[in-house]
Amino acid sequence: MKNQWTNFLSGYVRVKADGRGTERVINKMVKQNIYIWDVKKAETDSILFNIHLRDLHNFRKAVRNSECKLSLLEGRGGPFLFKRLLKNSGFLAGFLAFLTLIFLLSNMVWGIEVKGAKPETEHLIRKELDKMGVQIGKIQFLLDDADDIQRKLTTNISALTWIGVELKGTTYHFQVVEKKQPEEQVKLSPRNLVARKKAVISKVFVVKGQSMVAVHDYVKKGQLLVSGSIGNPDKPKIVAADGEVWGETWYQSQVEVPLSTNFSVFNGRENVKHYIKIAKYSIPIWNFKKTKYKNFETEMSERPLKFLKWELPIYYNTATHREKEDVTREYSVKEAVSKAREMGKKDLMKLLPEESKIVGEKILHQTSDNGKVKLSLHYQVIENIAVGQPIIQGD
Amino acid sequence: MAQKWGQKLRQLMMNSMDLPQDVIMDLPRITMIGQLHIYIENHRGLLTFTDTELRLMLKNGQLLIKGSSFSIKAILPEEILLEGKIEHVFFINE
Repeated sequence: MKNQWTNFLSGYVRVKADGRGTERVINKMVKQNIYIWDVKKAETDSILFNIHLRDLHNFRKAVRNSECKLSLLEGRGGPFLFKRLLKNSGFLAGFLAFLTLIFLLSNMVWGIEVKGAKPETEHLIRKELDKMGVQIGKIQFLLDDADDIQRKLTTNISALTWIGVELKGTTYHFQVVEKKQPEEQVKLSPRNLVARKKAVISKVFVVKGQSMVAVHDYVKKGQLLVSGSIGNPDKPKIVAADGEVWGETWYQSQVEVPLSTNFSVFNGRENVKHYIKIAKYSIPIWNFKKTKYKNFETEMSERPLKFLKWELPIYYNTATHREKEDVTREYSVKEAVSKAREMGKKDLMKLLPEESKIVGEKILHQTSDNGKVKLSLHYQVIENIAVGQPIIQGD
Repeated sequence: MAQKWGQKLRQLMMNSMDLPQDVIMDLPRITMIGQLHIYIENHRGLLTFTDTELRLMLKNGQLLIKGSSFSIKAILPEEILLEGKIEHVFFINE
């Protein structure tokens, strides 16, 4: 016996047979392999039964010369349902429009909340967001993702120390930490100031304590510069020595600069492709052009689409192909030397404490071989060499 | 006479080989589920069908089913499934 469901899907017709010899008609149809079901007596001399839509043709042939009067009453099942649906396509269109609307609305930005910011900062943030296009009513997956927004905000607004960006449903939440005012002074414990490294003293500025060195003195590493014990040597008072002792110090560094260097740089040309990804399959929807660049780097971004509160397994993807170009930089020896000196200075400045000054620079040695220029450099630097050393009182 | 011999041979086979009778002897196999359904295999065509009566041709004779509110759920060349309230099942031998 066949499944009634498949009958329903493929469609069937209710037939009325009227007249004498209805049984013979049924026998004839059954012999010709026309499946019939739900046979019922309606009135005297008339029966009702169902036949498949696909058997309709055979049915006509089978009953052509019978004594009965046959009439098709109504069609049921899939194809007829579909026909009716088309007839009432307004409903279908309305339903689709409704789904689309809900889909669009659930992918919109509906709110921007900024927490923990002063009104001025909040205004700045909102202005910056407007510039980026993060506004109420925008479609989420066309905007930058949360990480990008976070990065842009922190770099563009100097008043921010940190900003947390979170997309909850249709609302962007911004958690702001602003830069603090200058910290309070730390209370110092009794200490001496000693030399951090060997130097020739160039300037002494003592706030508190007893200066032990004079200008042009040569000091070694760890030598006492400003003593924390003041007053009568017999009955000293221990304080936290404070001040600055500037000394001239020396540094040596080796710098190497190749004469020709290969770089790989982006030249600004790019090709952005848009995809819709369903499960594992990416379907291109925009920009079908093939990327013709010889060298390029690909950057992918993936944004989930939402429906109400659910994230669909459908993603909006963009692939950005950026063209790369190889550039060769050539230096003459002279240029290489000046570059090397610049680099050496920069590297040194990174090592030195703030406010230090490079006062002298000498090239000790210079060689150029294997397409490289090697420099041995000597620097004279004025820097604060004083560093605290706690006084441990024996008690 | 020949037919009689055939009949006898079949009877013999049935007894000796333990095969089901309906297969060998072309008899109808009738399955009933309470009074609700009756399922007949091996029929030879419909003779009468009304609300209260179903008459089927068999190889030998007829099968008459009486009851009320009959409807044929399905009919195939050799099978028929009848639904309704079945009260009597008669074998009519000519």
